[in-house]
Formats: sequence, C-alpha cells, structure tokens
Amino acid sequence: MGDTVGKVVETLITIVIAVSASAAVWLIANLIVAQGRNHWTRFATLRLGIGGLLFGIILSGNRIISGSGSIEVATERNGDTSWVTTGSWSERLIAWIWFPLIAMLAFAAVGALMSMRDSRSERTLIGAVGLAVVAGVGGALVREQFRPEVDAAALAIAVVVVAGLGAAIATLRRRDTISGALTGAAIGWVIGAWGAPELGAGSSVWSTIALAIPGAIIGVRAARPNVPDEAGRDRMDRRSRAFIFLGPALLFVTTNLVVPALRTLYLSLFDRNSEEYVGLDNYRTIFTNPKSWDTSTWRDMFTSQLMWVGLALLVLFVILGIRGKRRTGRVIELGSASSGPLLGAVVLIGFAVFTTVRGTIVNNLWWVLVVTLFSTSLGLAIAVLADGLKGERIAKSIIFMPMAVSLVGASVIWRFMYIARDSAKTQTGVFNSLWVALGRLSTGDGLPTLIIGAIVTIIFGLLLVNIARNLARGEPARAAAPAVFAILVGWFLLRYWRITGTGVGGHRIKDDGTIVAQPINFIQDPPFNNFWLMIVLVWIQTGFAMVILSAAIRAVPTELIEAAKVDGATDSQVFWRVTLPQIGTTIGVVVTAIIVLVMKVFDIVKVMTNGNFGTEVLANNMFREAFSFGDTGIGAALAMLIFISVVPIMFLNIRRMQRES
Amino acid sequence: MSDIAVHTRGSGPIERIYSTLRRVPTIVLWFIVIVWSLPSLSVFINSWRTRDAQRSRSWWTTKPDELTLDNYESIFNSTTSGGLSNSLLNSMAISLPATIIPISIAAFAAYGFAWIDFKGRKGLFIAVVSLLAIPLQVALIPLLQLYVNGAHLTLPWLDKTITIIPDFNLVNTTTAVWLTHTGFAMPFAIFLLHNYISSLPRDVFEAARIDGADHFTIFWRLVLPLSVPVLAAFAIFQFLWTWNDYLIANTMAGTNPDAIPTTILIANLAGDFGMNEHLLPAAAFVQAFVPLVVFFSLQRYFVRGILAGSVKG
Repeated sequence: MGDTVGKVVETLITIVIAVSASAAVWLIANLIVAQGRNHWTRFATLRLGIGGLLFGIILSGNRIISGSGSIEVATERNGDTSWVTTGSWSERLIAWIWFPLIAMLAFAAVGALMSMRDSRSERTLIGAVGLAVVAGVGGALVREQFRPEVDAAALAIAVVVVAGLGAAIATLRRRDTISGALTGAAIGWVIGAWGAPELGAGSSVWSTIALAIPGAIIGVRAARPNVPDEAGRDRMDRRSRAFIFLGPALLFVTTNLVVPALRTLYLSLFDRNSEEYVGLDNYRTIFTNPKSWDTSTWRDMFTSQLMWVGLALLVLFVILGIRGKRRTGRVIELGSASSGPLLGAVVLIGFAVFTTVRGTIVNNLWWVLVVTLFSTSLGLAIAVLADGLKGERIAKSIIFMPMAVSLVGASVIWRFMYIARDSAKTQTGVFNSLWVALGRLSTGDGLPTLIIGAIVTIIFGLLLVNIARNLARGEPARAAAPAVFAILVGWFLLRYWRITGTGVGGHRIKDDGTIVAQPINFIQDPPFNNFWLMIVLVWIQTGFAMVILSAAIRAVPTELIEAAKVDGATDSQVFWRVTLPQIGTTIGVVVTAIIVLVMKVFDIVKVMTNGNFGTEVLANNMFREAFSFGDTGIGAALAMLIFISVVPIMFLNIRRMQRES
Repeated sequence: MSDIAVHTRGSGPIERIYSTLRRVPTIVLWFIVIVWSLPSLSVFINSWRTRDAQRSRSWWTTKPDELTLDNYESIFNSTTSGGLSNSLLNSMAISLPATIIPISIAAFAAYGFAWIDFKGRKGLFIAVVSLLAIPLQVALIPLLQLYVNGAHLTLPWLDKTITIIPDFNLVNTTTAVWLTHTGFAMPFAIFLLHNYISSLPRDVFEAARIDGADHFTIFWRLVLPLSVPVLAAFAIFQFLWTWNDYLIANTMAGTNPDAIPTTILIANLAGDFGMNEHLLPAAAFVQAFVPLVVFFSLQRYFVRGILAGSVKG
C-alpha cells in the first residue's frame, strides 16, 4: 500500500514538474518578447542573457568545463574516457548549472551596457571587449582533455568559407551582408579552432583565445543594428511570437517524428548492428525470403472452390453488365444488379489468391482487403438501416463501443469466442458451440433438427418467391442477388437433409458409425486463421465507419432526397442514386483511414498468435526483428516498407487538405 | 401481370409474405447488434465465474448462484498476476501527461498557425499535418536508441562527437512512453485544434487587437476559453488512444515489470500458456472499464474527435 501511495505521489510530481517547467519556459519567452515594444534595454539584456545561458549549457552539457571535477571523475578505459558521477543529485545539479548561470549573468550585463549607448562605435567596443572577456574565461576553464591544438590552416579555411557562406545567405535573404559575414566568421572560427584539430594536446592560452575571438566577433555583430523603430519592433514581435507559439510543437515533431524517420531510413541501409553499410541488401533479404512472399503453391488457387465460385460470379457480372449497358449505357452502376456479383467475385477471387500465395506481405494485403471492405460496407449498412429507427442510439452505441476497447482487450475478448476444446468436452466458445451443435443437428433426426431444417427451408422458399416475383415483374436483373443466396441456401439444405454428403457442421463419423464433435481451431488452422484475426479488427472498425458515414448521410441535403421522392424514386433508388454519390468523398476518407490503420496492424497478431501459424504481418515482423532478435537493419527496412505503403495515401490526404483550405 | 400486382398489394398471400420481407432489414440490424455485443458479453460473464466453470461449461448456461468475485480478488493480488493495481497506476502515469502536455503544446501551435502572420505559414502547416499518416513504427527504433543512449552527432569529416541530448536513462520508464506519445500526437492535435481555432470569428481578434492585446493575451483570454469543446474532444481521443496503446509501451517499457501499463500486463497474461487464463476476463474488463466510462459519459465529444480525426495515421 505504501508503494502505491509513493507511486501516485511520484507520478503527480513528475507531471507537475514537467508541466510547470515547460509552462514557465514558455511564459518567460512570451514575457521577454513582450518587453521588446516598450522596454528596449530590458529586452536586449534578457536576449543576450538567454544567449549566455545556452552557451553555458552547451559547454556544461558536453562536460567541457572543468570545475565539476569533484563530482565527476574521469576514468580511462580502452582509450575511451568515461565519467563516474558521484555526489547527491543536488550536488550534481549545482556542478552542472553554475557555469550556465554565470555565463547568463555576464552576457546579460554586456547586453544591458550595450543597449544604453546610442553610438555604434561605443556599442561595438563594449560588445567586443565584454563578450571576448566572458567567452575567454570560459575558454580558460576548459578541461585539459578538450584544449585544442593550433591548426592555423584549418582555422583560416573554416573562417573564410563559413564567413563567405554567411554573407551569401544574408545577401540572398536581403539582410545586412556584413552581419551575415560576421556570424559566419564566428561559427567558422569555432569549427576551425575546435572541430578540426586534435583535442587534448593544446594549452590553456590557446583555448582561451579560441573562444575569446568568436566572442568578440559576436559582440561586434550584436552592436551593428540600431535600436529598431516602432515598425521594426512590431515585425520582430510577430516573428518571435510565431517562433514561441510554434517552437515547442515543432521541437517535438522534429525530435520524435522527422529525425527518427530519417534515421530509420539510414539504419535500414546498414547491417544488424548498424556498423556496416549494406545498401539495399536488407530490402532484398525481405523480398527474397519465402516467409514474406511464397508463391510456390500458386497453382493450387485454380483447384480451390473459392476461385471457381468467384469466377462464376464474375461471369454473372459480365452478363448482367452487358444487359445493363444496353439499358443504361453503363456496365457498372451503383446499386444495379451487376455490382453485387462483382463485389462477391472480388472477395472470393481475392480469398482464393491469398489462401494459396502465402507470406507476410500477402497477409498484409489480405488484411487490407477484408478489413477495409467489411468494415466500410457493414458500417454503411448499419448507418443506413439504423437511420431514423426506434432505438437508433442504443444500436449505434453498441456497434461503436468496441472503439473504446484496446486492441489487446479485443484480442482477449475474441479468444473466448474462438476457443476450441477437445472434441470429447463441451465447447465453451460461441462459434465452436454453434458449429458442433449444427453438426449434431444435421446428423440427428430429432425435433430440433426438424425445426431448424424447416426454418431454413422456409427462407429458401421466400427467396424463390422473391425471384419469381422479380421475374414476373419483368426485372430478371433484380433476381440475381436472391438467386445467388438461393443457391447458397439450397446447397446448405442439400447437405443438411443429407441428400448429398453427411450433413454440415463440426462432426466426424468414425468407422464404427459413432459421431464425434469436430471443432475448428480458429486461431491455429492456416490459412483461414488470418481471416478470423481480421474479424477482430472488423468488429472494432465497423463502429468507426458507421459513425463517420451516418454523420455524412445526415449531411445530405433533404431537398435532394425530397426531389427524388417526388419524382417517384423508391427508397433503394434514393439510396443508390442520391445518397451514395453524395457521401462518396466521405467513403473515400473512411477507406483511406482504415487502410492506413490496417497496414500497421500489430496488437491483434501479437497477442493472438505472435505471428505463428502463418499469420505474420509486417508490423509484428518488424517488432520481432528489431526488438526481439536485435536486427536493427531488417527491422528498420520493414518499418520503411510499412511507411512506403501508406505514402500514396499521405499524398491523397495532403491534396484533399490543400483543396479544402 | 405487373398491373395486377400493383392493384392487389397487401391482399394476396405472396404480397403478404413480401411485406414481411420488408421488415427484414430491421431484423438484420438488431441481429448484427446482438452479434456485436456477444464477444463483450461472453468476457464480462466469464469474469465472474470460477476457473473450473469457465473451462467446463459454456458461459450462456451460467446460473446466478455460481457467480464469484474470486477472479477480481486475484488480479488485484500482485502475487498471481504481477500486480494489476500497479499497472493501472502506470497506465495513469502514461495517459495523463500524454493527454495534458500535447493539448497545451498543440494549442499554442494551432493558434500560431491560424492567427499569427509569418512567412511560410501555409507550407509549414501542410508539412506538419502531412505527418498525420506516418506509421509510428517508422520512428520506434531510433527513439528507443535515443532513450537508451541519448543523441550524439558525429560530425562528418571532423571525426568529433557532440552530445545533443544526454542520456537521461529514460528507457523502461513511463516517462519515455508519454514523451513518445506526445510527439506522435502532435500532427493530429495541431490539425484538429487548428480546424476549430481558425474558424473562430475574425472580428473578435480585431477588436482585441485594437484594445492593445498582444498575441499572448488573445490566446490566453479569448482563444482558450472559446476552444473548450475541441480541447475536450482531443483530450478524450488522446486519452483513449494512450490508455489502449500497446506498441509504444511495449517498445519503450516492455521489459520493466514495474513500468508496464495494463495492456502489456494483459498481453503477458494471455501469453503464459493458459496458466492464468481464467483471470483474463476480469483483467480485460478492469482494463476496459476506464475507457468505457469515458466513452459512455463523453460519447458526444469522442464522436467529434473521431469525425475530425479520420485522417490520423
């Protein structure tokens, strides 16, 4: 219990410190800028003070300044220097912070003196001498192992090159050329004096000079501009406010997204320990690995029933399409009888391909097809069916609720739906219970068997009635969909009444004639275990699609619908011809959002199978390679593949945003 | 033939069957709703049943007298499950900062993009928002390295290494997790808040400007109070997202049992080969309890966040 309280307190303290520290920095920045308008001296002082603080932090943070030696003891091992830190955290903090604080005060003092002088030459003198002295003191304090050798050639080259660069940039930006050259010269001096030569062999005199000179240059640079007038201060205020308001966000975006993404690209070109450059080898390894792309059994797809039923639907689509073209001039039309068979054909042929060509990348594509198609169409169907219905809110809440559950939680929930237990025991999972019960029913001949059989037969009869009705009305195209259902139900009935085969459902007949339950191992039997995992995501994402699409349906102008109804359109015609075209863009948004989500699906696979039993996907593979096997190269390459696969969608999104704004 | 069918609508037996068929869509809808609630229901009921009952009898045959609190007692008892109460605290320690901090940072930025005039504003905004669809996998490896080693830049040609970010030893702490969330939340937060803040009426700002208010005052006194609905929408969205996250937490803190949030605890329970399988329903329900409360009490805001956030990656 004490642990718990301690933990809560610790957490709260972390939050408070983090929030108040960032808020303080931000408020101080705003306050400083606010001085610029009316209190120029104060502003100039504070501005240079902040510069001094940063200067001190860079030196202190890189442990360049001596004086914290009592806290941090340098030890040499295998030629590397490392510091052993001693002392309590407050002692360490003081050892770290004393130099930045002093540098800040000294710089601020110089800034204050400078801003009080109107003549440029006086300002130059104060700035150059003042900053040279302050920076020089810093240089004198540099640890022995950081004192640079004198390398006049490198120094000269660096100063000239960077000063030239600074001048050129300033000229191009239509700023003061000399100021640019001075800034460049100071940076060039630091690079030439500290970056190029060996460190550790020089004297304290040179390290003092090596910092004093750039200090002086910066002093001269800072003295150049006159005190700006009202308009100038206004411009400056706007520019610095933009920087202050955007700065924190841009900092996080850069350090947490942009730089890491670029570094992942870089790491993907190196070997597993990021030591040796291997070019595109990691990508080649991924694509040649049969685990990501196994086409060896592709011929099997032509012996699969899915393929043949799919092709039959495709033929049906072509026939209906030709008929439709004769009547309306278009082969594919929303809501026409031909679009149903086309959709069915795509799904079935897709399944035939994805169950025979196996591998990580193939699995990802299968996920995209199933989750996108099922979630969007189910979400749309529910949005339409529930619109204006009694109990609409309850129905929608229940469908939408899985969005609030974590993917891990959803996986656990669905494990209980998919449980397969030994055939001798009671099935506790819903699906296997139904499946085994169906097996029992279709092999038995008691009353329940008759009742279920009768219900299905009645449904079959209703379908036949519907077909007959449409044929009688002279609309054979509208009979296509019920006909497809009738064939499926008819096939079921043939098996159920044991006219052909031995019944449907989970059962097996032993040699001695006894009937044994035969559950399906939903999670472990490839290749369809993939599909059962996808269902979990469909369960979650349908609510997402439904919410967005029902908002879009609500937004369709009622005049359009009224007008269509006045013209005698039926409900279904209104939906296919008016509502659906109106919400087309929104459907696009839903589809792209789901594709982006599905391409990086991870949690479900990780929790349910960890990629075993042929269910590996890119994101889980990436996690395994990078964090379990420690192969940074392949892991980074897999991450890049996920990224590349959503790049087209990123472009679509950007285009859309540009159009909207 | 079709003429006859029209005149006799509702009278003939075929027509009567057909009119019942018209109610099929509603029946289908309620059937879907029932199917949709079955999985949650099965876990909820199982969470109140003993290990023995869960393994031998179906949950829909449960009688009221076999319900028990044992599973809930066990999961809060740290010896059997690794401490659910501890991981609940970790989840809080991740979700709260990962919700509060991005909101404030993004609110500044959204205001900056919407109402401060500066060069390159539009381009920068599109650049930031285009990061929405970036899969977070692409940043995980370098971020983990950052938390393990800090960031050091080796200058090309000069052969010197500069420490940019020192090693704060953040790996395996909840801090590393919420810092990561904060960065990833930025593009979406800026996008969502900008949409709202930029649509506030211009007159308000101009009036304030004439009264001599600077950007800070306008932001603090005008924009923040006016933006409460969208801030709430984002807060709920982000809270659920971080509470339910598994990938980032697993990468940044997955190996430290003291820092793992509930999602990892449950995934670990699920992965230990059925030893504690009977505790899973209770643990899953407790994990989902907080988001479900948030969801049902603040559904309106959540839907708003979802509607605006349909482009998040």
